[in-house]
Order: sequence, then structure tokens, then C-alpha cells
Amino acid sequence: MLLFRSEEHLGRWLAERGLERGATMTPEQQWELAQAWYSDRLSHDYRRKTPEEAKATFDRIGLTGPFWRLAG
Amino acid sequence: MDAGVADRDVRLFIFRRFLEAATPPSVEETAHGLDLSVEEARASYQRLAEARMIVLHPGTVDVWMAHPLSAVPTPFLVETGGRSYFGNCAWDGPGVLAMLHADGRVATRCPDCGELLDLVIVNGKLASAEGIIHYAVPARKWWDDIGDA
Repeated sequence: MLLFRSEEHLGRWLAERGLERGATMTPEQQWELAQAWYSDRLSHDYRRKTPEEAKATFDRIGLTGPFWRLAG
Repeated sequence: MDAGVADRDVRLFIFRRFLEAATPPSVEETAHGLDLSVEEARASYQRLAEARMIVLHPGTVDVWMAHPLSAVPTPFLVETGGRSYFGNCAWDGPGVLAMLHADGRVATRCPDCGELLDLVIVNGKLASAEGIIHYAVPARKWWDDIGDA
């Protein structure tokens, strides 16, 4: 997961390396995802999200489609 | 000893020491800190790695990643409360601040042009940020090679 200056910079970087585009998100979505994923990490009872919980988190942030599916 | 209880203690000990020292504790340090034998601590590290709670350097029991923290320098420098850490990626950089419920700054460079970019969190909100985050690896493959994802 890398932060690029803009769409233009991402496109150029991928093209120069012959790499396929994956998925993108805005910094706002990234911060929301970081909070949803890590805010309980220092809890003694922390447990990893189930695939269903992860999907619900991704959905809420607008990260939908096969790219974001953890299983299957 | 209940392995589940011990593992929760060991996991939290790793994270807390990682945050205090900006480097993760060795098996020996954790054993000493939690009054465990080195063998018990080593077994716990291995169980935590199998459970994907931590990532060990291949072939060792040295912590490489305790997400969102990285034990090795990365392009994602996190500064908060006068301390600095490395996040594993563009997700984990802000993830460190989210984990700490703290304000701070994540600094990285655009892979294309090398320009310095940052995400700044103030009062728990994204105060300044620009750019776009690219995820190359689909979610279902993240753990195929977590160092690459």
C-alpha cells in the first residue's frame, strides 16, 4: 500500500513498471480504515476480525467489489 | 498454564515494549518481563505468528511486524508525542496513530516523483493530506506474502 501524489503519478509509476492497477482509496478512506482496523489493537482481549466483520468494515468505508473480499 | 491467556499477555507485552522502545522485545526479554520460561515465551511467539498476531523474521523468533508497527525501517515514518515509529505501509502508518488514539504525522514519499507527502491527524481527524493510496494486492492474497503486501 503506497501513497502517491496524484492519479497521474500513480498511472505513470504503474506504466513504467508494467504493473496492473489494483485498488485505490482517498486519504480520508485510509484514515477511516486505519481507525476501524487498529483502534482496539492495544486491548487485552483483541482478536482478529472475521472475514464477515472485515467485509462489513470495507463496505462501510465504500471499499466494495472482489478486490476487497478476504475469502473465496 | 492456559496458552490462550499467556498468549494474550505476551501479545500485549510485545506491543507495549515495542511502543516504549521503538523496537520489539526479544523472546528472552518477554520471558523475563512476564516471568515465563524462555521456552514458554518462544512457543507463545510461534503461536502468535501462526495466529497472524505478529510476523516473525523468517526462520527466527524475532518480531518483524506487529501490525501496524514495523521493526525495520520503512518509507512510512510516524511521528507522535515526541516519538517516532515505522508503519508497514500506507495503511499501517495512520494505523499507528489509530492504535494509540493519538494525533501525529505520517511522512512518506511519492514512489513516482519522490516528493514528500504526509498525513496529519489533529484531534483525531485527518487535518491535512493529499494524494491517493494504491493497493496492489487483493485482500484475499495479503497473507500469501505479507512482507510484499
